[in-house]
Amino acid sequence: MFDLDQAIADWRRQMAHQGITDPDVLDELESHLRDVFEELVQWGLNPQEALEAAVRQMGQAESLTVEFKRAHGRIRALVRRLKSFALGFVCVPMPPVDRLSQSAREVLRSARAEPSRFNHDFLGTEHLLLGLMKSETGTVRSILQSFGVDREVITREIAKIVGIGSAHDPTMAIPYTPRAKKALHLATREATAMHHTHVRPEHILLGLLLESGGVAALVLKRLGVPIQGVRDAIRNVWSDQDAN
Amino acid sequence: MSESMIRKELVAASAEPLVLSLLANGESYGYAIIREIKARSSHELQWTDGMLYPVLHRMERKGWIQSHWVESETGRKRKYYSLKERGKKAQREHRDQWLKVHAVLAGLWEGKHV
Repeated sequence: MFDLDQAIADWRRQMAHQGITDPDVLDELESHLRDVFEELVQWGLNPQEALEAAVRQMGQAESLTVEFKRAHGRIRALVRRLKSFALGFVCVPMPPVDRLSQSAREVLRSARAEPSRFNHDFLGTEHLLLGLMKSETGTVRSILQSFGVDREVITREIAKIVGIGSAHDPTMAIPYTPRAKKALHLATREATAMHHTHVRPEHILLGLLLESGGVAALVLKRLGVPIQGVRDAIRNVWSDQDAN
Repeated sequence: MSESMIRKELVAASAEPLVLSLLANGESYGYAIIREIKARSSHELQWTDGMLYPVLHRMERKGWIQSHWVESETGRKRKYYSLKERGKKAQREHRDQWLKVHAVLAGLWEGKHV
């Protein structure tokens, strides 16, 4: 049974994941989509065909994203995003498991439980962020709490930006999004740069912040969490740990 | 058929003057604007629907147009745009420039069979 509202919610999620995250813009595009859909139904297409055709008529999010960023003047941010977007679609490998610390592995395991809470069928940077908040070591959790951010607030922001999906098949394996893989890749690079043998949850947090096109980075930005502040807090935690 | 499709540079260059001139006739919303452009050009102006919105948002940031949401009786919400004074001025400037370019081209083509 075709459910228009669920199909449109799925389309919004896809647009958000491809970079169009402003809810106001999504509302406007959705309104247009619904108008096109109604017109096509009047032309005799069945609802499912009409929606597919309407989505095609709206255009691919990738090209729209380029135009939106150009319109909003952030050329440098655009270049950065295009680069990371393109890199995300070159197959970025996951960091090797033995490079991950125990707590980092635990973060990835916890993250796997997150998508189903939103009926998402992918594991994105936002789910990694939630996985970090559940970590037993709690380092990331305390750092973010010092900026006034907790798991609940993050969950609400994610739901606002990406929305809840339609019913999801619990038997299907959930793939990592290219950006999530990229964030983990950046996390590994951070660990290497710090001469740390293992990737820790704090590196993953940095990776999420550095993958500026990801939903996690957007959530943290909207919640007012500053990258430099987080770097400083992490550095403090590490120097405390080294001293002990 | 592709000979009659207008090349994308022209489509891009004509976007602002088209939208501004349509709005000069009264406020409208995205879907209706695109529909009218397609109809008036007999579908030779090929717009990807979504491409209209960055154009609208850019002009709104420039202060040429303003928007407000309107809810229909069926509960559908649509974002309507209207021209501001600065937009009317911009629309006149666009028009003057297009007519100038057109005049030069038309002069070159006058009387010649192309």
